[in-house]
Amino acid sequence: MIRRTLAVVALAAGALAAVSGSPFRAERATIDVAQLAHAVAVEEDHVTALELAQWIRDRKPGLRIIDLRTAAEFAEYHVPRAERIAFEQLLGTPFRPTETIVLISDGGAHAAQAWVFLRALGHRDVYFLRGGLGEWLDEVMSPSKPTDLTRYFGGMPRPHANGAVTAETIRRRGC
Amino acid sequence: MNALVVAVGIGIAFGFALERAGLGDARKLAGQFYGTDFTVLKVMFSAIVTAMLGAYWLGRLGVVDLSQVYVPETWFLPQLAGGAIFGAGFVLAGLCPGTSCVAAATGRGDGALVMLGMFAGVLGSGLAFDAFRGFYESTARGALTLPQLLGVPYGVVVCAVVVMALLAFTIAEKLEARA
Repeated sequence: MIRRTLAVVALAAGALAAVSGSPFRAERATIDVAQLAHAVAVEEDHVTALELAQWIRDRKPGLRIIDLRTAAEFAEYHVPRAERIAFEQLLGTPFRPTETIVLISDGGAHAAQAWVFLRALGHRDVYFLRGGLGEWLDEVMSPSKPTDLTRYFGGMPRPHANGAVTAETIRRRGC
Repeated sequence: MNALVVAVGIGIAFGFALERAGLGDARKLAGQFYGTDFTVLKVMFSAIVTAMLGAYWLGRLGVVDLSQVYVPETWFLPQLAGGAIFGAGFVLAGLCPGTSCVAAATGRGDGALVMLGMFAGVLGSGLAFDAFRGFYESTARGALTLPQLLGVPYGVVVCAVVVMALLAFTIAEKLEARA
């Protein structure tokens, strides 16, 4: 009798779930415009490519790098330790409160838009790569003057040769 | 530190529940594979359905922010291989990692031996890790969930899993009655 009752309760709860919408807070997100404007004004909304490279090299705890580009673009080249999440799936992606999220897109626009969404959902420690993947390639992988970071990530200074991945071969084909 | 204390508490509660369900007995667990005793399926699937319904409704009612709940990442082929190895070990030993601890804690020698084998396996894997690191890190899919994978709403997946569980329980009871 108890088992039958529990089964009925579970079935009812499951059936109601099917028509009750998403359990995520995305639909209830709120935007504090003043707070976002302040973050932009004091440049707490983004990181530079060199800052990101430093974080990766220093193994910054909780760092999570999200690449919003297409699967083909990601397969062609991506920042080390980056994981690809499609833009439309980002809002349903779970992030831990202790994580530092860095968003990457080709030119930076999509990443900046995603930054607004994640901030609206309450994520505090979130940034976008200012100039997108192009900045990473220009500043870290193939700068005019190589740095320790360039060598660390296996980049080479311009002018380049041997078909190496550079900003000239992969950059800004979209947002 | 608090998380560790909570983890110990949850672990003890989990072990207690497994023991009370009779899952410290290798014969009972092996019965799952021979189709004579479906206690494992019933206990584990009940736990899944309970946790799933709780998570869904707590999230839906705004009590818990589900986006803050950690979802383990998926590595498709390595986890498939791991599952096969786990299953082979399970049927061979008659115990899985959790139930071997339960069996050992209740004084069963087979439980202690399985734990020993398990730790030997962990040590061996760790020492040989470089040899299969490439495979271990292959086919990464990120934090994948069924609603994302199937492209259907979260609530529909919840409902489908409940129906699946109830069907599984019904079939299991019938099979047990025949055995």
